Amino acid sequence: MTDIAARADAPTAAAEVAVRDLTVCFPTDKGELAAVSHANLTLAAGRITGLVGESGSGKSTLALSLLGAVPTPGRVTGGEVSIAGVGDVTKLTKAKLRRLRGGHIGYVFQASQNSLNPLKTVGKQLLDLGRAHDVENLPDLVKRARELCELMGMDGARVLDSYQHQLSGGMRQRVGIVFALVLNAKVLVLDEPTTALDMLSQAAVLRIIARVHREIGLTTLIVTHDMGVVSELADRLAVMYGGRIVEDGPAEEVLGSPSHPYTKALINATARVTGEIGRARALPGRPPDLMSIPAEGCVFRERCAFAMEVCASVEPELARWRDERRRACHAEVETVTTEGVAAS
Amino acid sequence: MRTLARRLLPKLLAGLIMIWAVATFTFFLVHALPGNPGDAAYENFILQGMSPVQAQAKVSAVFGFTSHDPLLVQYRDYIWKLLQGNLGQSISYSGVPVSHVLRSAAPWTVFPALAGLIIAFAVGVSGGVVAAVKRASRWGKSLSMSGSIIAGVPVFVIALLLDFLFHTEWHLLPYGDTSDVTLDPGWNGPYIWSVIQHAVMPVATYALLGYGTWLLTMKSSVVSVLGDDFILAAELRGLPERTRLRYVSRNAILPLFTVFALSMGYLVGGSVLVEDVFDYPGLGNILLQAIGARDYPLMTGAFLIITVAILVANIAADLFYALIDPRVRR
Amino acid sequence: MRTWRVLTRKPGRVVGLAILVVFTLLAIFGPFLHSGQLAVDPDDVYAGPSARHLLGTDFAGSDVLQEIITGARYVLETAALSALFTAVIGTGVGLLAGYHRGPTDSALMRLTDFVLTIPGLPLLIVLSTIWSFGRPLEMALALGVTGWGGVARAVRSQTLSLRERGFLEAARGLGLSSRHVIVKELLPNLAPFVAMNMLLAVIAFIAAEVALFFLGVVPFSSSNWGVMLNQAVFSGGAMDSTSALSYLLSPLVCILLITVGIVLFLDAVDELFNPRLRERS
Repeated sequence: MTDIAARADAPTAAAEVAVRDLTVCFPTDKGELAAVSHANLTLAAGRITGLVGESGSGKSTLALSLLGAVPTPGRVTGGEVSIAGVGDVTKLTKAKLRRLRGGHIGYVFQASQNSLNPLKTVGKQLLDLGRAHDVENLPDLVKRARELCELMGMDGARVLDSYQHQLSGGMRQRVGIVFALVLNAKVLVLDEPTTALDMLSQAAVLRIIARVHREIGLTTLIVTHDMGVVSELADRLAVMYGGRIVEDGPAEEVLGSPSHPYTKALINATARVTGEIGRARALPGRPPDLMSIPAEGCVFRERCAFAMEVCASVEPELARWRDERRRACHAEVETVTTEGVAAS
Repeated sequence: MRTLARRLLPKLLAGLIMIWAVATFTFFLVHALPGNPGDAAYENFILQGMSPVQAQAKVSAVFGFTSHDPLLVQYRDYIWKLLQGNLGQSISYSGVPVSHVLRSAAPWTVFPALAGLIIAFAVGVSGGVVAAVKRASRWGKSLSMSGSIIAGVPVFVIALLLDFLFHTEWHLLPYGDTSDVTLDPGWNGPYIWSVIQHAVMPVATYALLGYGTWLLTMKSSVVSVLGDDFILAAELRGLPERTRLRYVSRNAILPLFTVFALSMGYLVGGSVLVEDVFDYPGLGNILLQAIGARDYPLMTGAFLIITVAILVANIAADLFYALIDPRVRR
Repeated sequence: MRTWRVLTRKPGRVVGLAILVVFTLLAIFGPFLHSGQLAVDPDDVYAGPSARHLLGTDFAGSDVLQEIITGARYVLETAALSALFTAVIGTGVGLLAGYHRGPTDSALMRLTDFVLTIPGLPLLIVLSTIWSFGRPLEMALALGVTGWGGVARAVRSQTLSLRERGFLEAARGLGLSSRHVIVKELLPNLAPFVAMNMLLAVIAFIAAEVALFFLGVVPFSSSNWGVMLNQAVFSGGAMDSTSALSYLLSPLVCILLITVGIVLFLDAVDELFNPRLRERS
């Protein structure tokens, strides 16, 4: 198992963040169940990686584990999360973890609509942030925040003086990004950055993310269920289902020729602005939640058009099948890529 | 500032209408009393040897209206006198203006109630935060349970139990009146010490009365704020627990101020019982006495003042809330 | 049998239910146990607990335990009736205000504010001068008419939030009449909420009626916990000596027990009506 993971890991770019064999469990009436199971994921330095999956796939939990912030009562029961220059997040002390959050990794909250204290101005909260991270030169911090605001098309002075309710949804999202980067974080994690925004704001935010990523030279992880977002921004793409990573590789290749039945189904289900609405095919069944993830065999088999007998008893491992592409599936690659639309 | 005024004006207006409504209500109450007391008093004065004109004037002075004029004229007189601050004259304290009686009794209700409210608020709110943050632990659960149970105990039960324990059983505190009658009132040590001693039980009763509700309300407010996005966001940005707790507390306490006014009303209403048990001469006690002595001017005056006090507390709380919530200040 | 499981999860809840059952039985069957007038024994006033009188005697030598049992009926009966009146009036007002909104809402809320602002107890004692509401039905009426404010407000905000849920729009869209929507859709959803409020209100009503008798502003016809307290404190000198102790403590303890019983039981009712993820401790 570790061998395959190591082979699959031979990256072309230096890995900024390496998730190895990570398992996160939550206690339930049926015992401890895994929300994330033996996940292997690498975030290449300087690249934007997209993590795609439906709700309940474990992608948010995986993203949170990068900050050691798995919500209680969940906990990491196996594996590690290595960050270049920091070490294994799962083994950090509380103090180091606190410094990591915001200082090294910036997290932009899902629907940043309400990620600010409604009773304090943005500027005051920025100062709180600086003091929390023992920043000595606070005026400098404010200057940097203003610069980041300008970079994102906002009036820095005005924003810092405002309360949350005085800013629009799109502006609040951008302020969330400012807060994530103002302490010179190297890694940026965006959880559903465009959900809850209207289409125009979505486009604007995506443009800003791309720009900021370029100008500052970040390593970015975008967690989303929206294929459109991923196709526009991501260099690499990883697909999650039922707590497992089922496929990953360079975004263009994965989107162009998906090698896993689930990825294929996801793409087919995405309606396009142009083209027939009839071309979009819904995937039958529902994504599993924590309690209904199959304990044996492939987690996707019940909705899979290519399911075989072996799928019911043996869980496929995430293995490299081409330069930088990996998949976890028993079916042959050719079968999946050449077959037409997933049978409904 | 302008928006503040705009918010307050309707409340003030509503308050004034309320006062008018209560005044009208008490006016008709007196008229509904069996055997018009105004008439009875009039007869009495005639018997005492006054001339009809004199008797009439006396009744008018005592009640605020004369019993023989048409109803609306009486009502108009009554309201007019009210606006001048004239509440009539007390029957039991013969001749003394009602406003005087009330004025000397008012502080003994307002200050203990206020003191009790502040203590209950401070202790209850702090307890609420602890109960919320530690709600999974045994301490947290028992703290919450203590709040529930104390909140359910009726006020006079608290008062009686306190009196029984501290006065009857353990002889720690004195009973009755605001201070030892043998002492000279004034800014001297013994008097002040006596006042404090006599006030401990009433204040403690008011405090215990409110403690439970504050604890439970703050706990639920904190629990709901703890689930808010910005608290998680603060944690993910590396803000220390201290700061996060500050964020939570300030946000959670805000909605409590709307309950502040209601609880003041509850306390003042409860003053009737507290002052009865401890024989403490405040507004509530005066009201009871007046009812017992069928001193209608005093009774209606006391009732009116009690309601006005609550209304003022309401408006003050609204003002305060508008001041501290930036979302409103806009 | 989910009810059973919820009930037994915490021992406190069973205790609460047990207390309530005991007092309810007392209320229903009490007077039959000691029918007729209370035995008077002038030689034995204010006696302490003994074999003959388990809880001592009162100012006329009557047995305290007997008085507690017979008094239970009045207390619980009026409290239950008051809760009923309050529920009916308050739910009616709150529902109408929340459902119709607009001017109806404003008008009804003004009225509710009025009722809420006027202090309850002072109002009741002032009212007692023109109307002596000593009998259970009258007392319940007086308490109900003065106490529905809180319920009205709570029901209104519940109705408003239920409105947001959309099923009301769906019902109206299907052409169902207002009356149908209110009775068949809203009321069942409001019922658990109102029921819980009513349980809590019972505590407040017991306190209010006992307080009224304690203050001596309402005429009393038979033994009554509030009257017992009144007698104990003001005639029995319970505040100055320990002689009438059991006479004083008996009704007090009963009130406390009922309060604790309701609070504990309410915990179970709360979980029954609001199933949510249990906190893992």
